[in-house]
Amino acid sequence: MIEIRLHGRGGQGAVTASRIIATAAYEEGKYSQAIPMYGTERRGAPLTAFVRIDDVRVRERELVHNPEISIVLDPLIAKQQAVVNQLKPGGLVILNTAYPPEAVKIGGDFNVATVDATTIALETLGRPITNTAILGAFAKVTGLLKVESIEKAIKKFFPGRLGDMNIAAVKRSYDEVKGPIQAVVKEAPEQKVDIHVGGYGVLKDVSSWRVFTPEIDVDKCIGCKTCWIFCPETAIQWDEEKNKPWIRFEACKGCGLCANECPVNAIKMVRVEV
Amino acid sequence: MGELTITPGSACQGCGAALAARLAFKALGSNVIRHGIPCCPDSTTKTPRFSTVFEGGGAQLTGTSRGLKAIGREDVMAVGFYGDGGTYDIGFQGLSAAAERNENIMVITKDNEAYMNTGNQRSGATPKYARTSTNPVGPRSRGKPRPKKNIPFIFAAHYVPYVGTASVGFPEDLISKVNYMKTIKGFRMLIIQSPCPVGWRYDPAKTIEIARASVQSGIWPLYEIMDGKTFKLNYKPKELKPVTEYLTPQARFRHMTEEEVADIQETATASWENLLKADEMGRLII
Repeated sequence: MIEIRLHGRGGQGAVTASRIIATAAYEEGKYSQAIPMYGTERRGAPLTAFVRIDDVRVRERELVHNPEISIVLDPLIAKQQAVVNQLKPGGLVILNTAYPPEAVKIGGDFNVATVDATTIALETLGRPITNTAILGAFAKVTGLLKVESIEKAIKKFFPGRLGDMNIAAVKRSYDEVKGPIQAVVKEAPEQKVDIHVGGYGVLKDVSSWRVFTPEIDVDKCIGCKTCWIFCPETAIQWDEEKNKPWIRFEACKGCGLCANECPVNAIKMVRVEV
Repeated sequence: MGELTITPGSACQGCGAALAARLAFKALGSNVIRHGIPCCPDSTTKTPRFSTVFEGGGAQLTGTSRGLKAIGREDVMAVGFYGDGGTYDIGFQGLSAAAERNENIMVITKDNEAYMNTGNQRSGATPKYARTSTNPVGPRSRGKPRPKKNIPFIFAAHYVPYVGTASVGFPEDLISKVNYMKTIKGFRMLIIQSPCPVGWRYDPAKTIEIARASVQSGIWPLYEIMDGKTFKLNYKPKELKPVTEYLTPQARFRHMTEEEVADIQETATASWENLLKADEMGRLII
């Protein structure tokens, strides 16, 4: 039995990706399960999903605890050591990052493959939804499923033009994936864990939710306070002395409201460098 | 006035309800007890908070308000910050009873037009033709078949001191309405339309754009009704924008045909003309 764990953020389609993998396995005559982690999922928050694939009927109904394969859909989550927690020795990690597998900082006894799925998704779909853009890499690196059956499953979930765009993303990531190689770092230090869903209430830092980050051109700013009044998270603070805004980045979720509302276009949304 | 919300909260990116909470509590000040019933986790405030079941919203607010009166602290306001499920549907009977008794409470509704916290199920607030997870679009279904409940008028027909509508796209109007509500006693209600990027399915950056288009096209007019008779329209553009400006950016209306858009346009224009007449008279006949 092959067990897979997916890490992503709400809105990136980790749950859809798990269902596509399970459907593709079913198309090949295998038995499969897709399980979402139950929690307070919402757009931007970290979440996990699981898949089981087997040649005989799968009777387990619990969450996956010791996966063979870990797929990471988010470039910032891909930096955290926690994505390989409880991975079986000699397992496989597929990371969404622009770096080659040699430069990956997380360490342990496993193989690493990388693909820049965010760029692929932005260029083929126009939106940073990385779920299908990482499935091509998954098909090539693991060899578990054929690309054709993944394409068939995608057509079931996204009929029409959207399906064609997603299939283009799958093909590109199939060609562009790097690796797998044995992880370079053998032992990595423990890091803070931010890969499961937090509860209700107050979060300390949401800066890892952003794909695009706002940048203020202070010279263009006319001091109208529009961005300040419309920010839902009070991330935009007002400097009363200079009559200019500044951004509290740990509270900014990167929605782009301020850039959209600014009357003089003094705020730009720039892709976060990972 | 200082910020009362503790941020970052656990709302989604570009959440209209989080903005509604931020603006409303900024205007209310710290002298409030917030009451909640299950709804989206918009943002946490620095005020005391009680939570209860959907049906208990009106009853719990009544209890707090009477308790505050008994201990002589009528300067503290009992405020309910509810979602549309707690106002339009499940919580309606308790609130209706509280309105009929004219309890000294304040209800602020953030109306995102479906049960968004549990995954976009239809509610009484969902507009006609909107696609939800319980009204999928297919050969036999064109989204929600029934129009949105006119809850401000229903509560105005309880002859309560104040019922108003607001939108996150017009923050000055929202804040001035909350400020007015603070000065009067009795049952006061404000319904804030707060777009939801996940459920309405649009780019989170367009939250304010869509909220504004909804007001400017006459779909969500901003008005206030005092004592069930005095009527005032707060935002009167010379000419209404076409409803397509509101409908097109949202993927929940993407399946609509031209006839269906014309239906929405006709309803919006007709109700706008009625409101203009009522505003001219300054009176509402319920």
